[in-house]
Amino acid sequence: MDFIVAGFIKAIELLISGDRATWTAVWATIKVSTGSMLLSLGAGLPCGFVLGYFDFKGKKHLRTILDTMLALPTVFIGLAVYAFISRQGPLGELGLLFTLTGIAIGQTILAFPIVTAITATTIENIDHDLKLTLVSLGAGRRNIIATCLWEVRYGILAAAVTAYGRVLTEVGISMMVGGNIKYHTRTITTAIALETNKGLFADGIALGLVLIMIAFIVNLSLSFLRKQ
Amino acid sequence: MTNNIQVTRKNPAYHLKDIQHYYGNTKVLDIDDLKIEKGSITGLIGPNGSGKSTLLKLLAFAQKPTLGQIFYKGRLELPFSSSIRSKITLLTQKPYLLKRTVFENIVYGLKIRKEKNNLEKRVAEALLNVGLDYQDFATRFWHELSGGEAQRVAMAARLILKPEVLLLDEPIASVDIESAGLIRQASLNARKNWGTTLVIASHDLQWLYSICDHQLSIFKGNIFSTGVENIITGPFEKSDQKTLIKKLEDGQIITLNAPSQTASTAIIRKKNICLALEKQSGNGHINQLSGHITSMLLEKKSETIVAAISVHDLSLIVLLSPDQINRLDLYPGKKVILYFHSHDVEWI
Repeated sequence: MDFIVAGFIKAIELLISGDRATWTAVWATIKVSTGSMLLSLGAGLPCGFVLGYFDFKGKKHLRTILDTMLALPTVFIGLAVYAFISRQGPLGELGLLFTLTGIAIGQTILAFPIVTAITATTIENIDHDLKLTLVSLGAGRRNIIATCLWEVRYGILAAAVTAYGRVLTEVGISMMVGGNIKYHTRTITTAIALETNKGLFADGIALGLVLIMIAFIVNLSLSFLRKQ
Repeated sequence: MTNNIQVTRKNPAYHLKDIQHYYGNTKVLDIDDLKIEKGSITGLIGPNGSGKSTLLKLLAFAQKPTLGQIFYKGRLELPFSSSIRSKITLLTQKPYLLKRTVFENIVYGLKIRKEKNNLEKRVAEALLNVGLDYQDFATRFWHELSGGEAQRVAMAARLILKPEVLLLDEPIASVDIESAGLIRQASLNARKNWGTTLVIASHDLQWLYSICDHQLSIFKGNIFSTGVENIITGPFEKSDQKTLIKKLEDGQIITLNAPSQTASTAIIRKKNICLALEKQSGNGHINQLSGHITSMLLEKKSETIVAAISVHDLSLIVLLSPDQINRLDLYPGKKVILYFHSHDVEWI
């Protein structure tokens, strides 16, 4: 029990003293998770809208594939991305292996189905009278899409928060694609795994606290936006 | 696009030709030919599920009919066409307010049309039209309104557009008497000020008759341009090869000529029903039913009185002239006899 208490104390010391290893992991995490979130929102929102709003042939099959992707293990995504961007892979020339960009690509693949599925469900649950109301007020296709997305903004925020939580806490992709290189591609989660393996619980707990703090700040900001 | 009707000033606002609309395999509308004149106020009467809302959606060009063509001012138009989208507006049965303030809800249509001048003044006028105060309501959010206020805000959001056509689906279903009066006045003002054509669906006959030039009745997707007609649903019993009877619980019997093909609902046109104070001797083909007058409404255009007669659990409509009313001293509550011939029946 003592080592846990000692871990908390060490955690506070590490954060206050500005320990380089800790803070580079924090920044790497924020950079890749924010980058992957922006990419997954950019791709997932329109795809989710199309899937939720329109009826087309094959929609059910697409939904089944998407739901399956929700359960993709991060190590599998890591493996697939690794296979593509490793030197022998089709995208090997891009030099993305063991880079933050490589991790961000993998995390985008992880977050994309979450954003798309939640957006599609939110759009599907839109009041049936909304579209009719917008059409009857003279809205064109663009206005309808923009207004529908704005009307379900809280649902979309929920999608973003859920996806952010997922990418922030994943280990498999960061470890396999990033390689856990100190001061370079080491993220909070991979650092925690490493420090725990080394028996350095204090460092692990410190990084865990930072992770929780980031998640708390993100949720607090979204909650503030929601009140606006 | 082929226009087989020439655009002239005399063209009606709407001309529906051979319209059939299906939901799955169920036919919900079947209209051979229907014209709605410009600047008219048309009432749409019919029970739930009769096709009123579907017809209004077609008139709003928010839905494509399965079969048939809809001409607007003589021009064949397609749903969602940008040329008519800004001219026609529909207030749905359960109006949807955007998750914004009342002000933002009302200016939404104007912003789409890129109209940005005098927004505050125009919103104030639109709110006043439906009896709401700008200072009190403009900054309220959608969830801070009662059902009646939401209905009136939705109406204001349509009125501010000064539409060529205003389609109202059950506009007074959830409002109080005062709000119903305000919506009535706002509708009449729209026609008076901007020449707006209105089509209004409502179950409230009294309110509808007080505003409409004429009424269309709709039942199982079939339109009756003569307004509300008498619909008698089964079960019917077979009396003989050519006759069906319907027994009312109070012992009265309605005798009707059997349909030539499968049909389950009988229509007795109100023009074919006569009214007297006492039973008369006649042959077995004349139905004589005893009932009470429940309401009397003035049909403005024909200046005739539409009287509803309660015959046990049936409500039958008859047309009366003001002379008849005076001569027979008719008033709601009075006991009367209705009579009509058994062959004056149509089956659908």
